[in-house]
Amino acid sequence: MRNTDQSSGLFWLVVGIGIAISSLKYGFGTLHEPGPGFITFFAGAILIILSLSLFLSSFRDQKTQVSLQTLWAGLETGKILYVIVLLVAYTFLLKSLGFLISTFFLLFLLFRVKGTYRLKSIFLMSLLVTVGSYIIFEIWLKAQLPKGVLGF
Amino acid sequence: MDIFHHIFFGLGVALQPVNLLFCFTGVLIGTLVGVLPGLGPVAAISLLLPATFRAPPVASIIMLSGIYYGAMYGGSTTSILVNIPGEAASVVTCFDGYQMARKGRAGPALGIAAFASFIAGTLAVVGLAFMAPPLAAMALKFGPPEYFSLMVLGLTVLTFLAGGSMLKSLMMACFGVVIGNVGLDLITARPRFTFGLDILLDGVGLVPVVMGLFGISEVLLNVEEKLSERKIFKTKFKGLLPNLQDWKESIWPILRGSGLGFFLGILPGGGAVISSFVSYGMEKKLSKHPEEFGKGAIAGVAGPEAANNSATAGAFIPLLTLGLPSNAVMAILLGALMIYNMPPGPRLITSHPDLFWGVITSMYIGNLMLLILNLPLIGIWVKILKVPYPVLFPLILLFCLIGAYSLNNNPVEIGLMLLFGVLGYLMKKFKYDGAPLVLAMVLGPLMDNSLRQSLLMSGGSGTIFFTRPICLVILGVVALILLLPVLPLISRIRKTVEKTEEN
Repeated sequence: MRNTDQSSGLFWLVVGIGIAISSLKYGFGTLHEPGPGFITFFAGAILIILSLSLFLSSFRDQKTQVSLQTLWAGLETGKILYVIVLLVAYTFLLKSLGFLISTFFLLFLLFRVKGTYRLKSIFLMSLLVTVGSYIIFEIWLKAQLPKGVLGF
Repeated sequence: MDIFHHIFFGLGVALQPVNLLFCFTGVLIGTLVGVLPGLGPVAAISLLLPATFRAPPVASIIMLSGIYYGAMYGGSTTSILVNIPGEAASVVTCFDGYQMARKGRAGPALGIAAFASFIAGTLAVVGLAFMAPPLAAMALKFGPPEYFSLMVLGLTVLTFLAGGSMLKSLMMACFGVVIGNVGLDLITARPRFTFGLDILLDGVGLVPVVMGLFGISEVLLNVEEKLSERKIFKTKFKGLLPNLQDWKESIWPILRGSGLGFFLGILPGGGAVISSFVSYGMEKKLSKHPEEFGKGAIAGVAGPEAANNSATAGAFIPLLTLGLPSNAVMAILLGALMIYNMPPGPRLITSHPDLFWGVITSMYIGNLMLLILNLPLIGIWVKILKVPYPVLFPLILLFCLIGAYSLNNNPVEIGLMLLFGVLGYLMKKFKYDGAPLVLAMVLGPLMDNSLRQSLLMSGGSGTIFFTRPICLVILGVVALILLLPVLPLISRIRKTVEKTEEN
């Protein structure tokens, strides 16, 4: 896949096919009595047609196409992956570690992603924000944030 | 006059202390997110939506609306002072506002932006009060087939007006319809697209989707950028008030922008953004000195600022009278109204007059508050602008995480939000617009319902959409819009065919 429209067109084509097939499984029904998969089947079918035409038209005007590599050229892609991994880890650990601990560690690591601050100030910032958000959301707005296995 | 009676009734609602407080909170948060780049009104409203579930519904909607038009105000500040639009509708303000600031006229630029927004907001609220009730009365005659066609029209207009490729926008609309229909089918009670996850039986929540698509994805895009120093003007803000000459040059652009924005705002699809661009183009054409545009013409600030504000008010018309949202923010408000058990539609005005008139008049009061908030407090907003991004983005992420979790006290909601965050990031990279997805997602279940009801009504005949006159007109417009981009293609194919035949 050399350019963005080809690869994304192909992606949505697969998604569209998946949607259409599962809609048929859920039940298309009849025109008299449309089933649960009725409208999603049409949405999937239209998606298939549209993504196919996107995919095919990207071959026609090659010059206006953007290649995949240029999308990420000169950017700090590693940082994105790092942030996503941190967020996913937070999602999984939130319940067991509790809000206070997991949030503190998340912030501590996140503040270092783009900043060049001293460890001491990052530590203080993370502590401040964690406690501050706990006061706002847990005590003030009663959001019932997870307590974790340690009980806080 | 009946209308004044209603407006006084609305003022009675809006001036209640609790509603005043919520209105103030709304416009304050709105200005804040407008000032902060990387956090727009869509993300902010979806963030605060769960927090309003325990508050009175009228006060909540007043606050959420306040965030919306407040952000339009705040967005202009960053455009003028740092050349970074706080949100999409203020992109145009950069063109001349920043140039004015470079010439040492940041004060009048900020001043005229605030006044233009205030005047436009006021005019639009009056327009809303006059136009909504008759429209709602007309909409009462609509049945399921009319509603279905209207929703198709809404989605089509949106994909036509939204930025970028119409093909891609349509694709996102299709995907959105499917996302909106995830969960138990109301008629047969069978699950659709739940992948065996219990939490999906209730459907995919709007809040995690919107926060992911518009909040998380924006942060991810900013994280990969190499940081550049933001330069903020160290001018002292003496004389925020525009002088007489400024007013002379601005007053007509403001009035034209107000009218234009209001009507473009009613149409589905990026009303505020589009209207600001159209207003700028119009003022440049009408101006006696078009060469000054882009070099600090005050009319280039006044017109678009007026347009984007009145567009936000115009956007409320389809929501409050037809129950159809015209942009992503309105889609969230629709979701909110559903949760408060006040489904918007033609009956809303009569069944919940306190909500309708209260919210409209609160917008007027909110505009006044914004004027007071923005002009004297400009120094504070400038200070907030100086919060460096490395510190800011973890805070934005944390707000999103807490917001998503507290929906159901379930980490799965966070996972859903992250999923849509990554999707949104890739969509921005590959130039897909998120707005059609969100709108279609909200409309999806409504479309499913009205389509199936229409077919039940007609006994399974699709001709029902073509035999009812209102339907026929609406679907005719849809066909026209869909064919517009294809027409040049057809003529091009014809030409190549002719050429090959000649050869």
